[in-house]
Amino acid sequence: MSGSDQLHVVTSDDISDSRRRMGRALVWGSAALMALVAAAQVAQTAGWRDFGFANWRPTLYAYCLFATCLCWAQVLVRGEQGKRTLFVLPAALFVISLTVFPLLFGLVIAFSNWNLSSLSGRQFNGTANLVQMWHDPFYWNALGNMVIYVAAIVVEYAIAFGLALILAGQIRARKFWRVSFLMPLMLSPVAVSWMIGKSMLEPRFGPLARLARALGIENPSFFESPWMAKLTIMVLDAWTFIPFMMIMLLAGLQAIPKELQEASRVDGASGWKSFWEITFPLMLPVSVTAILIRIIFKLKLADIVITITSGGPGGATDTVTSFIFREYRERSNVGYGTMLAMVYLVLIVIGMTILMKLAARLTRPRT
Amino acid sequence: MKPRLYEYASRLSRRRFLKGATALGAASALPAGLMPKPASAQDNLRARILAIPGVGQGSPTDAHWQQVGELCLGATKANVAEGEFAGVELTFMGLNNQNLHNLLFRGFLKPWEAYTGARINWIDLAQADYNSRLQQSIATGTVDFDILEMGAPFEGDTAGRGLLDEMPDWVSAQIDDSDLVGYLQPPVGTWNGKKYRITIDGDCHTFAYRKDYFGEGAIGGAEVPRTWQQVNAVSKALVGQTDPLTGLPAHGYLDPLKGWGGFGFYFICNRAAAYVKHPDDRAWLFDPDTMKPRVNNPGWVQAIQDVMDLIATPGAYPADQINADPGTTAFSQFLAGTGSMLMWWGDVGSSARTSDTSVVGDVVGFGINPGSERRYNSAAGAWEETANEAPVMAYIGWGIYVTSRVSGDEKKRKAAWSAAAHLGGKDLSLWTAAYPSGFQPYRNSHFNYEEWEAAGYDRAFVEDYLGSNADSYNHPNAAIEPRIPGIFQYYSVAEDELAKGFAGQYKSAQETADAIAAAWEKITDQIGRDNQIALYKASLGM
Repeated sequence: MSGSDQLHVVTSDDISDSRRRMGRALVWGSAALMALVAAAQVAQTAGWRDFGFANWRPTLYAYCLFATCLCWAQVLVRGEQGKRTLFVLPAALFVISLTVFPLLFGLVIAFSNWNLSSLSGRQFNGTANLVQMWHDPFYWNALGNMVIYVAAIVVEYAIAFGLALILAGQIRARKFWRVSFLMPLMLSPVAVSWMIGKSMLEPRFGPLARLARALGIENPSFFESPWMAKLTIMVLDAWTFIPFMMIMLLAGLQAIPKELQEASRVDGASGWKSFWEITFPLMLPVSVTAILIRIIFKLKLADIVITITSGGPGGATDTVTSFIFREYRERSNVGYGTMLAMVYLVLIVIGMTILMKLAARLTRPRT
Repeated sequence: MKPRLYEYASRLSRRRFLKGATALGAASALPAGLMPKPASAQDNLRARILAIPGVGQGSPTDAHWQQVGELCLGATKANVAEGEFAGVELTFMGLNNQNLHNLLFRGFLKPWEAYTGARINWIDLAQADYNSRLQQSIATGTVDFDILEMGAPFEGDTAGRGLLDEMPDWVSAQIDDSDLVGYLQPPVGTWNGKKYRITIDGDCHTFAYRKDYFGEGAIGGAEVPRTWQQVNAVSKALVGQTDPLTGLPAHGYLDPLKGWGGFGFYFICNRAAAYVKHPDDRAWLFDPDTMKPRVNNPGWVQAIQDVMDLIATPGAYPADQINADPGTTAFSQFLAGTGSMLMWWGDVGSSARTSDTSVVGDVVGFGINPGSERRYNSAAGAWEETANEAPVMAYIGWGIYVTSRVSGDEKKRKAAWSAAAHLGGKDLSLWTAAYPSGFQPYRNSHFNYEEWEAAGYDRAFVEDYLGSNADSYNHPNAAIEPRIPGIFQYYSVAEDELAKGFAGQYKSAQETADAIAAAWEKITDQIGRDNQIALYKASLGM
């Protein structure tokens, strides 16, 4: 133990060999018990031998016992150092239980042929789901749509930045406008879908359709043609989430030291020059964060699509999530649906990692 | 009865009810010799339960449900001794749609519980959660309910897997299942010749049309279309005309062109059944020997082509029809005065007259699914120039089933079947048909219009509206869907492909139909072809 560590030690560690042995025995014993119970349950599930288990709770209980023994053993074996570990270990085990295990089970399901209506139950089918996905025009169509939906974030960002600049300025009733602009974000996307998508945009009696007719558009229709439908969905989604970007950018704008802008003005910079050379670069870290979070939200887009268009017309507005929803929920195709979700997750992780690298490079201070 | 239907019928009958009450008061003052001859005890019971709470007297409450349950206990008492099921606990899984279904069952079964000594625990599910809960229970082997409210399409998923208990003969006698309307008779409710279902509901699609569009000098022609060929011809001829009610552009038949969680497929079935449901063949979706889809045979292709023809005719459909699901066509379009013809379940007729947003209440008429001037014979692989009719029994209605969890315990088994039989009793069913319950009439005895009239209902309405249901139910060539595992998977994927076809992403109706057939083949292979063939045959009673 280093000298600096000694400062935090409140009791001296004098750990006997027998105590260490007991700690190790606890860990290995509980681990062996867990492995034994799990193996017995697997054997019963596979039909090799009946141990009389009614469900998987015995394995869960064995895991809980192992986790407890592992925590306890930290103190027994490592003393004060183990107590420090104990601050983090239960939380780590909890996270592992709720993320890593389900992810592993998810992978097992993703490589399975599992239709809930099939009498044969879940069967390992290797890469068959991947091959099916590769040839599935609905999935590729949905992925293509996602690229377009995500690209629209550029426009959303520009609008959000504009609104944030206005709200950061000295305008009348500023607080009122801030709250007003935030309102769409507070609404449930499902409510937005019904109130706006299904009611206000109703082509015959909806107020917006009436307005369009009054403006001379003969048969206004917001979801009939593929591009119009896609555009309308993008506008609805943007209307809901632009306030989110706006509020982040507004917070960033308020954090910029006033002196910098004042100094630029003293140096003779025009409004645009001041924005482009001072405000925008200073806002880059906040902008990148807002855009990345918005991309994550956008990649999950489903509720508005499911409620208003069900992905139509002809898949024009389909998103990956809404397609997975149909595949999983309506068709009980658990194996294939999980594989689609897993692949999407991998694509998102890769995409976001690249974006974050680029963002880091972009926001690195220039010397 | 569907709640909206009751609302409408009640509104009509309140005056008649008061008239009836006055007449009853006057009659009671008559000397005994002048009184009408008393009816039989059974008739009295039916009349008594129909008076709870009385047509036009507001919505029934739990107290009324218990009262009806108590009055209808006679059949139970004939088969079960008092306290016979003491100590038995049963779990009942059902729906809580519109605060009906399970909530009514609780009330009906309270007197049954008091008499038999059994206790029932309840699992209430929203409609949207029902399918996944049931499928997950089956797939993970965690069936935790003894009695189940279930639609017939799921019989393949349950009876086909041996998860249901066979109905004992005494139950069949107690509920008098010979009284069920034609299409609910076996093979519906049976698997491999064994009965599993106590029917408590009936479903079918009927044809609703605007009377002001048809007749001498009317814009739609003198006669109401009776075939799909006529429906399409009228729909095209109406382009450019003005709706007599709203003054807006007139439209003909309203096809829902957008999916609806699988339920939208029933609507193309309406068109297709007229072409492909041959009277000599029970099958119309698959070949029973191979499970090869028939959805791409010339009859089905014709049905899809008919829709595509209307899509290609500017103005035949209202704007944005490509984005209209069945809910939109019925409630946002037809009832709001857009379009003149529609196929739908029971509620659209009643909503026409009770909904605040409906403008067509006085001009709506009913009939059965339009037929066709020719039909496709799948066995011969050729068209026959013979007229054909085939009403579609979309969803087949709800039933009560007992799961095999109770099979090993005779006392529990008898208790479960007794509870189920109480809910499917003949007299109790008259009450559920006449009052808000979420269920439609489903027995021949429900179409005894005198009984309804005596209870205070408007005779003309009952005859017109329920008559179309009765004609569909008892049609000799009714198209009944296959009760095979995953049937809604087939419907759901068909909706996706149809949406592409209707959006012009496939070159033709044939290509669209071929895409559906290919997707269906994949599902069949995934679920297991041999098993599907066996179950399909069983569901057809072959």
